[in-house]
Amino acid sequence: MASLIKTFLLTDLLKGLWTTFKNQKPSKVITEQYPLNRPPVAERYRGAPRLNTHPETSETLCISCNLCALACPEQLIVVTSERNPETKRKDLTTFTYDVSRCMFCGLCEDACPVDALELTQDFELATYTREGQIWDRQMLEEGPLPVRYTH
Amino acid sequence: MEQLLANPYVPPLILTAVIILVFPLIAGYIVLAERKVLADLQVRLGPMRVGPYGVLQPLADALKLMLKEDVIPSQSDKWIFWLAPVLSTFTALSAFAVLPLSDRFFVADVNIGILFILAMSSIGALGLILGGWSANSKYSLMGSLRAAAQMVSYEVPLGFATVTAIMCAGTLSMQGVIASQLERGVWGAFDNYGLMLIPTVLFIIAGTAETNRAPFDLPEAESELVAGFHTEYSGFRWALFFLAEYAAIVVISSLCVTLFFGGWLRPFPNVAALEMPLNTAFPAALFALIALGCSKGVFRQALAGFRLVMAALTGLFLLVAAAFALPAANELMIGLFWFGFKLAVMVYMFIWYRGTFPRFRYDQLMDVGWKWLIPISMFGLILNGVVQLFARG
Amino acid sequence: MAETTLAPPEVQAETLLDSNELVLNMGPQHPSTHGVLRVILKLDGETVLGTDCVIGYLHRGVEKIAENRTFQQFAPYVDRMDYVAAVSNGLGYCMAVERLLDVEVPPRAQAVRVILTEINRIASHLLWLGTHALDIGAITPVFLCFREREEALKIFENYCGARLTTHAFRIGGLQYETYDTFEKECLDFCDLMEQKLKEYHDLLTGNRIWVRRTKGVGILNAADCKDYGVTGPLIRAAGVEWDLRKAQPYCGYENYDFDIPTAETGDTFDRYMVRMEEMVQSCRIIRQAVDALPEGPIKGKVGKVIKPPPGEAYVSIEAPKGELGYYIVSDGSLNPYRVRVRPPSFVNLGALDKMCRGSLVADVVAIIGTIDIVLGEVDR
Repeated sequence: MASLIKTFLLTDLLKGLWTTFKNQKPSKVITEQYPLNRPPVAERYRGAPRLNTHPETSETLCISCNLCALACPEQLIVVTSERNPETKRKDLTTFTYDVSRCMFCGLCEDACPVDALELTQDFELATYTREGQIWDRQMLEEGPLPVRYTH
Repeated sequence: MEQLLANPYVPPLILTAVIILVFPLIAGYIVLAERKVLADLQVRLGPMRVGPYGVLQPLADALKLMLKEDVIPSQSDKWIFWLAPVLSTFTALSAFAVLPLSDRFFVADVNIGILFILAMSSIGALGLILGGWSANSKYSLMGSLRAAAQMVSYEVPLGFATVTAIMCAGTLSMQGVIASQLERGVWGAFDNYGLMLIPTVLFIIAGTAETNRAPFDLPEAESELVAGFHTEYSGFRWALFFLAEYAAIVVISSLCVTLFFGGWLRPFPNVAALEMPLNTAFPAALFALIALGCSKGVFRQALAGFRLVMAALTGLFLLVAAAFALPAANELMIGLFWFGFKLAVMVYMFIWYRGTFPRFRYDQLMDVGWKWLIPISMFGLILNGVVQLFARG
Repeated sequence: MAETTLAPPEVQAETLLDSNELVLNMGPQHPSTHGVLRVILKLDGETVLGTDCVIGYLHRGVEKIAENRTFQQFAPYVDRMDYVAAVSNGLGYCMAVERLLDVEVPPRAQAVRVILTEINRIASHLLWLGTHALDIGAITPVFLCFREREEALKIFENYCGARLTTHAFRIGGLQYETYDTFEKECLDFCDLMEQKLKEYHDLLTGNRIWVRRTKGVGILNAADCKDYGVTGPLIRAAGVEWDLRKAQPYCGYENYDFDIPTAETGDTFDRYMVRMEEMVQSCRIIRQAVDALPEGPIKGKVGKVIKPPPGEAYVSIEAPKGELGYYIVSDGSLNPYRVRVRPPSFVNLGALDKMCRGSLVADVVAIIGTIDIVLGEVDR
């Protein structure tokens, strides 16, 4: 009998209606208006790659060991170097990183023995051309140009 | 001028023209309201980019739909494909003719007004059926078959609920129904010792089904039939279907408001003490409050253009609030206000259902219609008839 | 209630179409086939006489790619199969390679793995719930589910730096140590889930429309489940208490106290209830694991270069969608000789025809939703 009354009074439906009604409180809105409000990005976020330089001398930290290129599943990193006759060390000449094929797995970052290659918190990687996705050493060291949005 | 207005044909004609011209805009804003309310129910924001808080979104949508390429599938029956949205829109807008928007704003007060509305909404179903059939797409065809079955089934409980209300009012004229509620001093929904609530609830349920709204939106069930009967429609033709759908919602809601919720009467129309607070203070305060909300928006917006829009809206709503404070203007508009207010509550409820309930299945829809709604509506009719017979003597 | 008891006439295959039959092509572009699944429906009116699944629109040859990658390099790719439960995929793959290498994973790493996979199970079930409800026409749960799922993804992002294709685990253990607020965030997430599950129950479980749409729809009984090799929530909903976390415990699941939710009939409603209950159980596991999180190293004794001895290994785990198995053959080189994945979605999808026959078009959508497929995993 009680269930019959419940059926006719539509209590189950009213419960659902009340649930959605409660959601209307403005404080419950979870939308982030992206270009206006920028979401906080985690410290460990794996985004745009960066080739770190020494903070004082601004010389590259990369020792051209090629481990990142070997670790990369997509083989998108190409490192070239030449032997410096004075220091008997390898000097970095070019470093290209094809962001368009990158899946941001972080294996290159793990492989780097000197913390030169790093995936940063920058996540806005759109470019107007495919070629723009292939980052050279300068781009990797300076980072992509900051983009400002107006809406 | 006065002579012209005295001509019995002129004011209805003017009002007709106003309805046809203004309704697309109103429909656009109902769509915006739907998107905003749904967003509220779903912890989102809804449109926020076109104009401040998205208030100009309907204009952008309308422009987009009009500029869109007009696609007619090559395998379709072109004439019928062309005719279907026209038919839907035409019938839906025709039904506006007998809606009593207020005590002085109505196109026609015919003595079979309610019948006319029911007839028009039935013909509107034909547009859906033809539109789905002519597109020559399987999804459209299934959508239109569902539409046909659904409309036929739900017209019956809708009819019974309407008949109960008519019986209670004793007239088929829309203005007459309202007059009878004024006379009896109680809204249709609470008449007959509250027994009229049965047809009221049934009318709302069947009306939802009649207008193809969730949870009865089977003809356009997007998760099953892609878009149902209007799968192949795009651009302005699709917009016409949309217009027809929202017109149908407004018509059914208006019918519900008129039959059961006192039409343009204020609540408690017989209590003179409430005249001032409900007819003057409430609308004025409501619009003043809206204006206050808009004025806050003026300072929150970053762009100068958006600020201007918000300022204009603030001014507009302040003007309306002021108008309600003036006795002369108040008298002219108060019926319209209450009618619109009740209509807005009804439309809000429609949106609310949509945001909450899952969709029925085709066979369950028939099951609910034939096994539950029709018997209950018949029972409600007989019960109300018997009560009325003995209670009113 | 059960309107779907129409006796399904057998589909007369390859004969001329009966004049009453209609072939409806559902997908690969359809709002509710969960990606690029294509289902060819043979209909009589709205009644389904038979279905035919066409898959492969998302085929990327993942298993073949594995043969050209080193063991470590292939790990990010497995995340892209069941991208909704990337952590589970990673866990299964890492465990398979660890078995080949015969290394012991330290207890701390195991506990963190359990926490993350269980959070991932909840995230996967949330996505399933949202989309399933959306298929049945309830448009609000999807947003509520995504709201909670966002919290799970934030934990992943904070832990390993990616939200969806996490690549959270490495062979032999973990790459990343937990962060400062890890424990607190996990417990908060459990609290949140237990609180919000009530909201979902209010919205759906009691709702008569939801019950009518799901009860008696797409019944797959225990015998059929076994015949089709169906696993996961589907077989548990049919009453078989089969959960690899209990049946062959891995990763230290034997230390945690949790129940296997089961149901009786194996219809869509039962599967819904089983998954809802599984989320509660996952919360229980997360709480226990966080409370007893041991200290210690996070990576076992694995060299920089992973070169397993020749041999083969099969490891299966209980992914959110069912039994996820990795079969790896090593020939002693740097690359796997062969990797074969047993994806739960693919196997479960096989039962679609059985579940759909005799039901209506609207049910097909509900059934696809209830199987909980991810096309990335079906097509691989």
